[in-house]
Amino acid sequence: MTGRFSREAVIRWAPLLVLIALVILFTAINPQFFSLRNFARITISSAPALMVAVGVTFIILMGSIDLSMEGVISLTAVLFCMAFVRFGGNLAAGGWLAMPLILALGAGIGFVNGLIHVRLRIPSFMASLAMGFVGTGAAVLLTGGDIVKVDDDVFRGLLTYRVLGFPLMVYVAVVFLGLGWFLQTRTTLGRNFYAVGGGEDLAHASGLNVRRVRIAGFTLAGVFYAVAAILQVAKLGQAESVTGANFMFISITSVVVGGVALWGGVGGVWNALVGVLIVNTINNGMVVIGLPDYVQDGMLGLLVIVAVVLSTDRRAAIVVK
Amino acid sequence: MSTFIKDYIEKETINRRNFLLASAAGLGSMAMPMAFGKGAAFAAENPALAWSYRDRASAYWNSVVSGGEAFVESIGKTKEDMVSLINEGSSEKSLADIKAFLAKNSGNCAIACDANDSPNARPVVEAVKEAGGYISTIWNKTDDLHPWDIGDNYVSHMSWSDEKPAEDTARILFAAMGGKGGVVHLGGIPANNPAVKRLNGLKNALKDFPEIELLDAQPADWDTTKAAELMASFITRYGDKITGVHCANDNIAYGVIEALKAEGITGMPIVAYDGNMEAVQMVMDGDLLATVFTNPHWGGGVSLALAYHAAIGTFKPSEEPNEHREFYGPTILVTKDDAADFKAKYLDNVPTYDWTDFWGPSNGGIVYK
Repeated sequence: MTGRFSREAVIRWAPLLVLIALVILFTAINPQFFSLRNFARITISSAPALMVAVGVTFIILMGSIDLSMEGVISLTAVLFCMAFVRFGGNLAAGGWLAMPLILALGAGIGFVNGLIHVRLRIPSFMASLAMGFVGTGAAVLLTGGDIVKVDDDVFRGLLTYRVLGFPLMVYVAVVFLGLGWFLQTRTTLGRNFYAVGGGEDLAHASGLNVRRVRIAGFTLAGVFYAVAAILQVAKLGQAESVTGANFMFISITSVVVGGVALWGGVGGVWNALVGVLIVNTINNGMVVIGLPDYVQDGMLGLLVIVAVVLSTDRRAAIVVK
Repeated sequence: MSTFIKDYIEKETINRRNFLLASAAGLGSMAMPMAFGKGAAFAAENPALAWSYRDRASAYWNSVVSGGEAFVESIGKTKEDMVSLINEGSSEKSLADIKAFLAKNSGNCAIACDANDSPNARPVVEAVKEAGGYISTIWNKTDDLHPWDIGDNYVSHMSWSDEKPAEDTARILFAAMGGKGGVVHLGGIPANNPAVKRLNGLKNALKDFPEIELLDAQPADWDTTKAAELMASFITRYGDKITGVHCANDNIAYGVIEALKAEGITGMPIVAYDGNMEAVQMVMDGDLLATVFTNPHWGGGVSLALAYHAAIGTFKPSEEPNEHREFYGPTILVTKDDAADFKAKYLDNVPTYDWTDFWGPSNGGIVYK
């Protein structure tokens, strides 16, 4: 029994150990890596990705997948900028109104996404991917390929104003991470995600309305994507129809690297956090230690495989597909 | 999505069938002139017009398309008469769409095209030739493919020589750095032709500035987000040693500026490329030292104009000198001194071009190294 317990403990803590090992490795090669300023840089690039990863974690917990994030982020980011400008162009004058509006929109898109998946019985993979394309298309239509800028210094304070060395946007991400953790551990909905992911038939037989749980999961994910979009605009001061690009790869990789099992039921938002930090630490560290650019992509792939090998309990999976 | 795939398969199937028919028609049309005498060019009437390009999600391609539409309107047609064949970054789709368009119009076509990648240019122009249409290409083609080897159907190729303008921006950057210090370069997608040229331009300028060190050059994939993250990592690695930033395009510069803003660094000399509206505004505001405008509007219009006029027989491509078949598009350096004038002239009001002045604004014949 103790042997099994320690093995589980190792797997549980493996992602964090991988993260610590990476920090030690990069610091050993270039001590400049280990500085508060650099950690702030890693967290700035992590903050929007973390929101996407938390959102998609709920979906993956249910054993589904959501690939709509790129389109949803592009669309919500563009609409956020447009609404922000329309409501006065600065936070105090009414620009703040854009925030609840965009969060509601994110929820709406997620709801439709879930509805298509559940009601039309289209696999989540296909339904969400299609939804993502719709989002990107709508963003192209709205912008005509142009950039929409937000120039308000108060709003950009999310990036420029620092507390204890970290920009405000990092704290915003932490608050939403806390919210995700609360939902996951302290609410019925959170436990239902695990129930669906752990054994959908059983959950259904126990009287759980699985369809409703799925739709709620996608809606929740949509809200987190909208938060990511707002943080991304805070980070870059602009939105365009490609603002969401790359978020699919980074969020899903992070979630899996962090130890959330793609077959559902295993992991949670902490895994998403550690996973996002691992991927962004690798990206930052490779440049900081001066790795030539042509080996960086290969190295990222390699480290991702190592991290997944260490951090997922593949013995529990009967079939790997 | 599923309908997208279904449509695509349907299109491909129809396309394959039509391609056979079109090939037969193409052979027929090639045989026809021979019956009427050697090499007599076919003057088509009212050819169908199309622009084949990557996507609508960028200011650059939108500008190209606006040029194409301006030309179409100049010959008394409506914007809708120009068909957009969007390849979405896929060479296969680029070729399939063009073949379908040729088949639909029995080869009576004038097409302007960026073949998406260099090797795809040959099958595209050969398909057009086979069907008896006319095509002008921009940007992508291999060095061994020349319009004069293919014949009148391959009207022209336009590219932009990025090396010299990138060198010019580097010189402006180095002057602003006081002739000494460290520079980092954030590049485009590594294998992209313009990315390579723009880095080469920087390296050329470095030869004349021995006290300036190129600290690092890494790809940022033309992407604002990636550029911001790469710049942040550069700051960790090189810190105060960075006294200037050379960017491969405007989008990268936007990311660099935001990464510096997060660090509270202002006044860093930065140069960019592309001459987009926002970048020109930044040059006027002093956030950017310089950018380079390649006039995609004119490029988009004149490429289609060349294909169209060759198709209706206004001129015969094979009678033109080589520098009229392969030429460089215009490049305009935009600095603080002329940014306001430039913006008023090219961006706020798009100039009306004479679309029969095919080579006026161009920059000479393409030179291969």
